[in-house]
Amino acid sequence: MREVELFFGPQHLGMVGNFSITLNVEGDKILKATADPGFLHRGFEKLMEYRTWMQNFPLVCRINVVEPDHMEMVYAMAVEKLAGIELPERAEWIRSIYLELARVGSHLFGLWAYSNMLGFDTVAQWAMYHRDLILDLFEELTGGRVYHIYIWPGGVRRDFPEGFTDRMVETLHSIGKCVPDYNNTFFNNPLFYERTRGIGKVSREEAEKWGGVGQVLRATGKPFDIRKVEPYAAYDKVDFDIPTREEGDVYSRIMVIRDEMIESVHLIFKLIEGLPKGEVYNKVPNPFKWKIGEGESYVRVESSRGELGLYLVSDGGDKPYRVHFRTPSYSHGLTILEKALEGANISDVGNIMISMYVVAPEIDR
Amino acid sequence: MNKKNLIEELKLTFADIRVNEDKNDTIKIHAKKEQVKTILLYLKNYGYDHLALVSCVDWINKKEFELIYILTSYNDNNETYKETGDIYLKTKISRDKSEVETVIGVFENAEPYEREIHELFGINFRGHPRLIPLFLEREYDVPPFRKDFDTRKYVEDFFNSIPVIPEEKA
Repeated sequence: MREVELFFGPQHLGMVGNFSITLNVEGDKILKATADPGFLHRGFEKLMEYRTWMQNFPLVCRINVVEPDHMEMVYAMAVEKLAGIELPERAEWIRSIYLELARVGSHLFGLWAYSNMLGFDTVAQWAMYHRDLILDLFEELTGGRVYHIYIWPGGVRRDFPEGFTDRMVETLHSIGKCVPDYNNTFFNNPLFYERTRGIGKVSREEAEKWGGVGQVLRATGKPFDIRKVEPYAAYDKVDFDIPTREEGDVYSRIMVIRDEMIESVHLIFKLIEGLPKGEVYNKVPNPFKWKIGEGESYVRVESSRGELGLYLVSDGGDKPYRVHFRTPSYSHGLTILEKALEGANISDVGNIMISMYVVAPEIDR
Repeated sequence: MNKKNLIEELKLTFADIRVNEDKNDTIKIHAKKEQVKTILLYLKNYGYDHLALVSCVDWINKKEFELIYILTSYNDNNETYKETGDIYLKTKISRDKSEVETVIGVFENAEPYEREIHELFGINFRGHPRLIPLFLEREYDVPPFRKDFDTRKYVEDFFNSIPVIPEEKA
């Protein structure tokens, strides 16, 4: 049969985000896939070299639309490590609660993208609605819906308002009540099962060889999670599980995402129970005159997609000298996706891509 | 104990490398660019099997680039890794003759990182299978992430003037 070159994206119904894949196909079988990013390159890392340490906060959260909060966290952590800032205990716990809430919101967004791609429009609408309920909580806490700029070096911007944790629990319960509905319509649906089982397989050895993290690795049975490997915030003070699956296909990745969402909600309840009292913010120097001594640091957090790292260099000035984000989608979208698509069917491109949680703004930066 | 052993072994195995620890106890290995690949392979066999990041810093005043390879481990039960944490491997390359050998043979996921550094800093990676543009849309005289590339000046020059469209020959 004749080999044809096919351009998949950047505008395509079956994928989300400005990302393109060039496919060499024979019939509907993919022989070779070449990822083509760059439709969203905004040069954030260079822009950040022109702004002071504090001015960069509105920038970092805009790097990844889907999960601005982990971006804030990783940048704040890097600055704290360079400047040697200590945190009050309550701030650590609040950060953990806030990040877990962000993880649930981000996973619901991911579920929207995935079920929408697969044609389960009802589930997609549910997921988007439930994400909106979480955004309402963020709005009450920070004043912003999507970009919050809540985490600062030295702590968080403000304490939880009166009765906020109760409203959070209430909202999470109302979302949790719908889990059986999600299961009946989507996760236990034979259509979903047939469409995902055995597709886009990545073995554990392959995932490790190609730099896989997050769900890609956890779906192969490896409980690799930065929250356990290198605990930050208050994650070492509470107990939680890391959901894993064995098969490494699309089905296991989506199921890991579902289980993670449920685990995150349980974790939030545990964190609220143990939330200590006290200050939430340690004063930092005047941001206009703040200079950080020479040095470099690499910090990482577990974002909803996997290991999110930041390499930050200071030359002793009031601005960063070099910023480099290690985003999970980078390896997933540019290395693993290319290999996983080889031999797959054209109709599964979006399926495999979104199950790996490839988010274009994270790759391009 | 494991940490000390590792540092000693590294110093014995490789000549001319400098190993030091910073205030956060991170191990930093300074090596020549020819040694990078072998050291990475050595550390990979030692259990540092996850290359988290390859990054580049332009130290324009010293007229050199610094490449940084950050190594961590997938196996969090690894006793040595538990003690040492991440390892930074650094190498310096002259700005005038910026060329270095690729490490794809050791860590396959270094491929897009090297491609990005080639595009944004203009460093040539010998042996890389496809050093084609990754992100950028147009060509630049100076690779844009170098320190002598002024973003604001470029924007003013490029977007504030109406570009001349070359006449097409009939």
